[in-house]
Amino acid sequence: MMTAVESWIEEPLMTFINDSRVRIAVLLESSGRVLAQHGFTRSIDVMSACALAAAIHASAAEIGRQLDGTPFKTMHHPGRERQIFLGELATGHGAHILLTVFDDATSIGLVRLYFAELSRRLAGAAAATSSAPPTLVDFESDLNRNLAKLFGRI
Amino acid sequence: MTKTPYAELLAMLSRHRGVVGSFVVSERDGLAVDSNVQIGVHAEAVAALAASLHRKARLACGAAGCGVVTFLRLDAEKGGILAAGRDDLVLVTISEARANIGLLRVEMMRAAKALT
Repeated sequence: MMTAVESWIEEPLMTFINDSRVRIAVLLESSGRVLAQHGFTRSIDVMSACALAAAIHASAAEIGRQLDGTPFKTMHHPGRERQIFLGELATGHGAHILLTVFDDATSIGLVRLYFAELSRRLAGAAAATSSAPPTLVDFESDLNRNLAKLFGRI
Repeated sequence: MTKTPYAELLAMLSRHRGVVGSFVVSERDGLAVDSNVQIGVHAEAVAALAASLHRKARLACGAAGCGVVTFLRLDAEKGGILAAGRDDLVLVTISEARANIGLLRVEMMRAAKALT
């Protein structure tokens, strides 16, 4: 089941999950604050995944800057049975990161294809909504509130 | 840019009347290994979706007891998609309605045998 903190994320992300057949999807801000998730059952797992995804994204971006002059925006790691794809999405509400885990029910080609579509849909949905851009004034309480929303505690 | 071993094969297929593009795609990854397409063809999307289609056809044939898929033909209003695979590699051709499918099939089946 997919759950999102903000309603404008729901439809584009659900479409991505249905089309790409990924097992797990987490949408987060580059700070590591979670915005939506699909496939996790425990909030502690989401928190860990978000922290790691934000760190990996920041590291990959810096390596890209050092090597190529521009940050790397997507990363794919194929495991034996499961694969990870991490990509940056530019929306009108700042940069977001999608972390997704998939298996042989789909392929990296399909995930990349639907990721590009998700990027366009999210940008469109963000433009149509008036949500305030994220702030980092109180990161921890925002993170906890978002996790509580995603797991039905509020 | 380095030519892949499939460049001549794809060029030969693309010279056929009504062929809009051809690819060699990894079925598992859905990524194009090499392609020869006309301008305007969204090569990455077609490669990923055609590889997925071929995989599902292979699984369906396996489940139905039909054996290995040798050739896949998808007809649409303005043309179609043809695919012939070997191991993890799939040779995909996008054709217009005016293409000679019989001739393309023969060429693709022959070419697919050489895919490694």
